[in-house]
Amino acid sequence: MGFWNKLLKIDRRWIYTIIWLVVMIPLLFPFKIKPMAMPPVTRLFNYIDTMPEDKALVISVDYTPDIQPELHPMCIALLHHAFATKRKVGLLTLQVMGLGLGEAAIRQVTEEFNAHATTHEDSIINGEDYVYWGWTTPIITILLGMGERITNVYPVDYYGHRTESLPIMKHLKNYDDIGIVVSIAGSSIPISWVNFANTQFGVPIGCGATAVSAADYYPYLNSGQFTGMMAGMKGAAEYEQLVADKFDELGIKWELRRKGTEAMSSQTAAHIAIMIFIIIGNIAYFVIRRRKK
Amino acid sequence: MKRRLPLMIVLVLGIFGAVAFVIPHPIVKSIDETMRNDVLRIITAFSLVLGVGSIIQHHLIKIRRKAEHWPFSYIALISLAVSAAIGLFGGIDPASPGILPTHIGGFSFHMQALYDNIMIPLASTMFALLAFFMASAAYRAFRARNLEATLLLIAAFILMLGAVPLGRMLIRPLPDFAEWILTVPNTAAKRGIMFGIGLGSIATSLKIILGIERGWLGGGG
Amino acid sequence: MTLSLSLIFLLSSLSPPTDVIARDKPNDSGGAILLTWTRSSDTTVVSYRVLRQTEGKATWDTVGLAGRLANRFTDDEVQDGIRYRYQILTVSETETAESAPSEYTVCSPQWFNFDRMPAVIGTIIFTCLIVFFIGRAKRNIKLFIRRIAGLDAVEEALGRATEMGRGILYVPGLSSIDDVATIASMNILGEVAKKTAKFGTPLIVPLRDPIVYTVAREVVKESYTAAGRADAFNQDMVFYVTDQQFAFAAAVDGIMVREKPATNFFIGMFWAESLILAETGATTGAIQIAGTDAVSQLPFFITACDYTLIGEELYAASAYLSREPLLLGAIKGQDYSKLLILVLIVVSTILALTANLPVQNIF
Repeated sequence: MGFWNKLLKIDRRWIYTIIWLVVMIPLLFPFKIKPMAMPPVTRLFNYIDTMPEDKALVISVDYTPDIQPELHPMCIALLHHAFATKRKVGLLTLQVMGLGLGEAAIRQVTEEFNAHATTHEDSIINGEDYVYWGWTTPIITILLGMGERITNVYPVDYYGHRTESLPIMKHLKNYDDIGIVVSIAGSSIPISWVNFANTQFGVPIGCGATAVSAADYYPYLNSGQFTGMMAGMKGAAEYEQLVADKFDELGIKWELRRKGTEAMSSQTAAHIAIMIFIIIGNIAYFVIRRRKK
Repeated sequence: MKRRLPLMIVLVLGIFGAVAFVIPHPIVKSIDETMRNDVLRIITAFSLVLGVGSIIQHHLIKIRRKAEHWPFSYIALISLAVSAAIGLFGGIDPASPGILPTHIGGFSFHMQALYDNIMIPLASTMFALLAFFMASAAYRAFRARNLEATLLLIAAFILMLGAVPLGRMLIRPLPDFAEWILTVPNTAAKRGIMFGIGLGSIATSLKIILGIERGWLGGGG
Repeated sequence: MTLSLSLIFLLSSLSPPTDVIARDKPNDSGGAILLTWTRSSDTTVVSYRVLRQTEGKATWDTVGLAGRLANRFTDDEVQDGIRYRYQILTVSETETAESAPSEYTVCSPQWFNFDRMPAVIGTIIFTCLIVFFIGRAKRNIKLFIRRIAGLDAVEEALGRATEMGRGILYVPGLSSIDDVATIASMNILGEVAKKTAKFGTPLIVPLRDPIVYTVAREVVKESYTAAGRADAFNQDMVFYVTDQQFAFAAAVDGIMVREKPATNFFIGMFWAESLILAETGATTGAIQIAGTDAVSQLPFFITACDYTLIGEELYAASAYLSREPLLLGAIKGQDYSKLLILVLIVVSTILALTANLPVQNIF
């Protein structure tokens, strides 16, 4: 049996071992790779970056722990962007399982910013710079009710404060004060945001989706119902890159933890490995076929 | 009679199902919903008993005949009995306890705990195997055998490169092209297949309702 | 005085919506009223509130909220036969304004859903075509059916299994019996079982759904009887495994590795487990024939299996295998329906593309 024949009949366990290494090593020791943002991500970033200063960014944490690795970095990147550019932020969740994730995200990012803050101005303060409304139900009442008065929908926030008493809520009455709502979800909740908040009130909607469900959202993106979209780990990595560039532009020196970008090295390595497998397989196939002829 | 009766039931219920699709009146709708929900649920409950009977019998035969790997059949049967006992008498979680205690000290084994600590990790492990199988399938079977296979291979390369930052670094418009492949030719092909599936499923339903297709009765007439 | 006058002027400045029309929601099972209105021209409008009054009662209840860009609302918390009327309240930051009440209206259930008329017409045309071709088939007019490699391979695969003295694994998908793919799979199982009965090849049919299990057992049993080998049927050929998706995949993988069937059939509805099954099957060296209408799983089967029935080929399989003229007639009807749809798509695309061109005036 020739070399190529042997190669084709190689024990599969070698292939499994290579794939395991190719996924694991870059996860533990990520290599530097600079994502270049695609138009849907750039549009979302630019919209948030250039919206009027008095408008807030609302993030709807609509994902659950099982898809957290893919979507959580998007939430973190949005928060980094908003706080670096001094935007007010409102957080909520329409999935009760997302409640803890929203809290974890806001806690992580505020701790990062406050650790580097030197003045009161630089600090991120709950109730002044952001509000976490938490979870309530039913969805339609929330999506429509927020158009009239947010404090009616959420009389108390996640931490139990009366929302009426929070300074941030003085300038965050309803959709008129919201620049964009970004719904990050593995389900079809972003479509509900389009159907109610966008269609009935004209609020711009952005979307963060898993790579699998992103294909279903392109029609909404093309029609302009979504202002922009982050699709899968790659979308998160691209947004992280744009935020990192923004940090440089603003002269913010501290290093960001970029989980989406870190995972990209693993994904890139796995894709390249599979492509190499296909190339080797095909070379072997053609060599053997020629010999047979 | 043994053949005619099932065919009659299928004809009547099949036509009723089609009629219920266009008549929204509550009289029709309530019968339709009863059929779909209650009757189906009762049938499922009975067939589940048959199903469990089947798996028990399958493993008992293996044990009796000492078939290859027969000791594993004991594991299957014991797991079945234990999880059934916990599910029936032990309660779902600490909030809704049953008559059997489901914890020893700090170690609990109620249904939710079994699900979280056994079912989910095992299912995730099986799902994760996909990554390995994708690689081995790509190596073993993804060949440029003919024109179609070559086109498929090229499309796969573009998509895989387009999905990682490297693609844009190498060739700038590559991710856009990958997206175009996904949204245009891919959707077009999918729609073509969907049309065929739609018509095929109506035709199959029709053949069964009219009693032309009797394969499900063991074939023949 | 001037201040309070101007305040009153300001208070009454918000214009309410007009033309509030309430009517029974069409094509439903009753219990719903559809409201439409012309939006307020004010730019300060934040939202609209929908108020409802039951005839004979003095109170107006808020029944819903609509956005400032909305001009319709469905109230589905009403009872048939009771008369209601509605008002739309315009809400701004500081004030509200009521519209004139609508006329009283009653809702009732309908006997026909006209929204589904296109589907009804399409199904009637389709049914007529199928019945016509079945009629032709009955008159013994020979119908051509193209080769389907995957189905031609069934005979070869069964022969190989018999020669090798090994069994055949048939997995009829993971879905329930109400899935057409599962029903189609049962039809193919019937044909396969007849052949295994004839050759005396061992058959293994593991199942995930208890109802499909009972159906599959009957199908196999009847096929063995039809082939005149009722004695060869064994209860243990068809067995239920579990309803857990990945536990089922693990069990089938185990069967393939231990029993090493010569041929694996994966025919029916599959999800993420498709490649897990097909790739494990490939490692055992079995001939693999797959068939599914799950479009997203097709690439996995095409890559890892020897033959794949794509979409409708799955439904055509039982006709192809049994060569029964009535079943072949139905396939012919299907083909002509597809041709009809194709023509409709092309014509409507041309019409849509030329919509803004003067060429439209010709029609």
